[in-house]
Formats: sequence, C-alpha cells, structure tokens
Amino acid sequence: MNIEVLILFLNATLVTVVSTIVVIAILRKQYLPVIRELEKKEEQEVKGEDENKNIKSNI
Amino acid sequence: MALIIFGLVLLLYVVVGAFIARFVKNSDDFYTMGGRGSTLLIVGTLAATYLSAATLLGIAGVSYAEGPLVIATLGSFGAWIGTLLAVVYVGRKMKALNCKTMPDFFDKRFNNKWVSIIAILIMIVGLVGYGVIQFIGAGLVLSEITGINFKLLIVLFTVALIAFTAFGGMYGVVVTDTLMFFTMLAISVVIAPMIIGQAGFEQMKGLSETLPNFWTIGGTEDRSIGWSISQFLVWILFFTCMPAIVSRVFPAKNDFVILKTAIIGVFFAPFMQLTVFIAAGGMQVLKPNITPADNAMIVGFMEFTTPAVAGVGLAALMASIMSTASTLFVLVGFALSRDLYERLFEKELNEKQSLTAARIGQVIVAIVICAIAIAQPSAIYWISIYAGSIFAVGWLPTIVASFEWKKMNSKAASISMVAGVASFILFGELIKAGIMTLPTGIDELMLALLVSVATLIIAALVTKPNKYELNYYAEMKNTGMAKITIQEFLKQPDGLQKIKKQYKQIITISVLFTFISVVVWGYFFIKLGL
Repeated sequence: MNIEVLILFLNATLVTVVSTIVVIAILRKQYLPVIRELEKKEEQEVKGEDENKNIKSNI
Repeated sequence: MALIIFGLVLLLYVVVGAFIARFVKNSDDFYTMGGRGSTLLIVGTLAATYLSAATLLGIAGVSYAEGPLVIATLGSFGAWIGTLLAVVYVGRKMKALNCKTMPDFFDKRFNNKWVSIIAILIMIVGLVGYGVIQFIGAGLVLSEITGINFKLLIVLFTVALIAFTAFGGMYGVVVTDTLMFFTMLAISVVIAPMIIGQAGFEQMKGLSETLPNFWTIGGTEDRSIGWSISQFLVWILFFTCMPAIVSRVFPAKNDFVILKTAIIGVFFAPFMQLTVFIAAGGMQVLKPNITPADNAMIVGFMEFTTPAVAGVGLAALMASIMSTASTLFVLVGFALSRDLYERLFEKELNEKQSLTAARIGQVIVAIVICAIAIAQPSAIYWISIYAGSIFAVGWLPTIVASFEWKKMNSKAASISMVAGVASFILFGELIKAGIMTLPTGIDELMLALLVSVATLIIAALVTKPNKYELNYYAEMKNTGMAKITIQEFLKQPDGLQKIKKQYKQIITISVLFTFISVVVWGYFFIKLGL
C-alpha cells in the first residue's frame, strides 16, 4: 500500500467530511434550538385554541 | 475546429450577458444580483472561479512532470480547506453584515479612510497581479492552439467580458460562471476518465519504476516536506480571504444556500482538480516528453479524445480563462466604482447614477487590464510573484481579529496590513538577492504573517478602539446569517415548515456528498494506492 497516495485521497475525502461536520454543527447550534422553540410555541397555540374550543362548546 | 469553438463560446457569453442585462435594474442587482443567488448558481460560480487556467495548465503540468501528489496532497488540500473557510466563516459573516464587496467590511468595521484605502490597494494589486498573469499565460496557450494572434485574442476576450461584466455585473458573472462550470465539469467527468482509461491504472502505477518518486509527495524532483507544508500554508491562508472566493457568497439568497454551497461547492474543489491531476499523470504513460509540460492536458484532449470531446475540452479551457478574468474584472471594477468612488469620495449618487458609475468602472478596468495583458510590462511579472499571497499577509490577520477581538481598531488594522505586505516583499527580495537565507520549510510568507500578526497584537494592545469601533463590534456579534434567515423565513406563510424542510435537505445533502466522496476517492485509492 502506498501511504502517500492514501494521504492524498484521505485529504480529498476529509474536505467533504469536515465541511459536513461544520455545516451540521451550525445547523444544530444556530437552527435547531430555534426550531424547537417555535415548535413548542406552535403546540402551545394549538393547545390554547383547543381549550378555547372546548370552553366554547361547553358553554 | 478550434476557431469555430472559440467563436461559438465567445458568442454564447455575449448573448447570455446581453440577456442578463435586462434583469439588472439597480446597483444591488449589479453588485450582488439582488441577493437572489440559488444554490445552483452559487455552487456554479464558486467552482468555476476555483478552477482556473492554473489548474488546467500549470499545476496539471507539474502533475505530469513530477507526479500528481506533489501539489495536490498538501498544497491543493490547503486550498480546499481555505475555500471552506472562505465560504462558511469569512463570506458568511460578511454577508450577514450586508457587505456587497470585501472592502465594504473594512469600511463598516472601522469607518476609517486609511484602512479602506490600504485594503482597496491590496485588493487591486493582488487581483490584478494574480489574474492578469493567468490571463496572459492562458491566452498565449490558446493563441497557439487557435492560431489567432495573441493581441487580437485578448481584445476579443475583453470585448466578450465587457458584454457581461459591464452590463450584467455580478449577475452576469454568476450566470455565465455557472454555464462555464458545466463545461469545465466535462473535463472531470468525461475527458479525465477517457485519458485515465487509455493510460490504465496499472501502467500509471508502474511509472514509479521509470520515474522514481512519481507517486510520492516529494515527486520526481524529490521536494522537501517543508516545501509541501509551506504550499499548504500559502494556499489555505490565501484562499480563506481571497476576494474571488469570498465574494461568491454575497449574492446567495439566504443562509441555507450558503450552507449547501459549503458542502457541494467544497466537494467540487477536489473533484474538479484531482481528476485533472491524475489524468495529467496518465498523460505521462500515453505521451512522455511533452514540452512544455503545461500543455499536457491540452495534448491529452486534442490527441486522446474524439474531436467533439476535444472541442468541449477547448471550450472548458476558455471557460477557465474567462471565469478567472471575469471575476477579476468585476471585483476590481467594484473596487473602483463602489469602494473608491462612491464610498471613499463620499459621492451621493442616485440609483441610476450608481449603476452608471459601476458600469463605467467595469469598462475602465477592462480596458486597463486588456492594455496590461497586451503590453506585458515587466512590472506585472514582479507584482505577480507577491500578488497571490498578499491577501494572506495583508488581509487575513486583520479580518480574523476584526471578527473576534474587541480591542481591534483602525490603527492596528493599518499597521498590520502595511507591515505584513511590506515585510513579505522585503523578505522575498532579500532572499532572491541571496542576502537572507531561511531554513528548509520556512519561507517569506510565514515570516511576513508572523510580522503582520505581531504588529497587529502590539498595536491593538497599546491603542484603544474608538466608540464607533466598539459599537460596531457589539452590533457585529449580535448579527448572524442564521438569525437573518430565520426572520426572513418566518415572515413567509408556513415559515417554520420551510425552515424544517431546508434543515432536512441540508442533512440529506451532507450524507449524500460524504457518501459520494468516500466512493469516488476510495475507488481511486484502491486503483492507485493498493
């Protein structure tokens, strides 16, 4: 096995792997918390609307 | 055939440029295509800018003569990582700060005329020195193939380039770059495999017997590992803040486009380069003793492919010249019209005047560069020696410190930029004159970078940032592409669903391209390394 050829193709693969890791880290750090927060808000809004509907139907 | 292809390619770009001019309604469209760049366009323009004539001629020539590992293993690797940093770190941050050009950032961050002037000068000298030499070199080769007089060829190129830079601005460059990208891709997916197939992997591996060290990092010239490491540093530092790469991010529609480009565009960097370098190595089996070695790939597609494919190869070579030159034209033109004329001279222009000034800037730059390319003054060769690296020693420490360090101020920026560039030229000249010698593996770039960083730190520690700089630093820390993109999406109906869809798309793209990368490079390793 030619180690130097291995380094060349390992580097070529590594570039995509590193870019993938960096991008996923950005997504998880900067987008995921906001998505979760907004999902929670949406759920609460839906719950609130359901409760309102129940109250109205009971009345 | 070469002449017909030359004419057709030029005509295509002129027609596309004229067509795109319709979409340029204001200066925003001209400078950043109105922030409407899709993933396809941004990946296209990034990859086309990345693959210059230097890849197809100079580095392919070294791969042919000394072995494909010599520059690719560490030098090109530095450029690939540098491209990633340029997109995801420098470009993304500057885009969030609403920068339309790179000197815009220096202007916004320091609000100091001297810093802006130094930054603009570095950009103009660096881009002209780096770009014009490639323009001249590739033009000479193309003139030989087509039989067209070199001067006429440069004039024709310039006229075609004006058609889409002066009328379409960044819009024209991004769209034509994407067209060029597909032409260039043909070299990697059609021409390179054809050459490698004819040469045969076993015969290519066997080159080590006739040319000792052909499949080593040192190559047949047995270059030192210090030289390779130095190449890695030069390219990573240069590409991280190279305006041609960083400015590709500015027209992006949103952060998701930038993140997708970081994966797809960065994947294409080694894909488009390595296949060419391996094919150039294959040419050593098919036709040894090509002189000059720079012509290895041209001989490859002219003699070892079908006439139609050779035509595509020729068009791709032209595309690589045009994309480099168009980027050079457009960025230097922007520096003249926007950074120097509008901002520095504080000209109050309305939309129409601003657009006219931008177009006049492009025409002036085109004429000046055309004249330099034709006259080939000796000074341009001297400038080109330093041009590629002055962004690394002049801009990079200042940009990183400006992003990350609260104490960073205009005095530290000016001193660091001047000291970096001056020491780089001084060390270079002293080494050339034999007055200064450096240990193996250390070069003038490393020393100059050290000077630039040291002067920056000392100057920033002994001086204080003013109120504007402190305020802008705080504002900058609160600004991010993710925040801006989320806000934009949430204004749309079903905003959250759209964000989630983009999120999933990027994860899928990440997995897919990692898989493709492992398969492609794994295949080459099995064939050439085992």
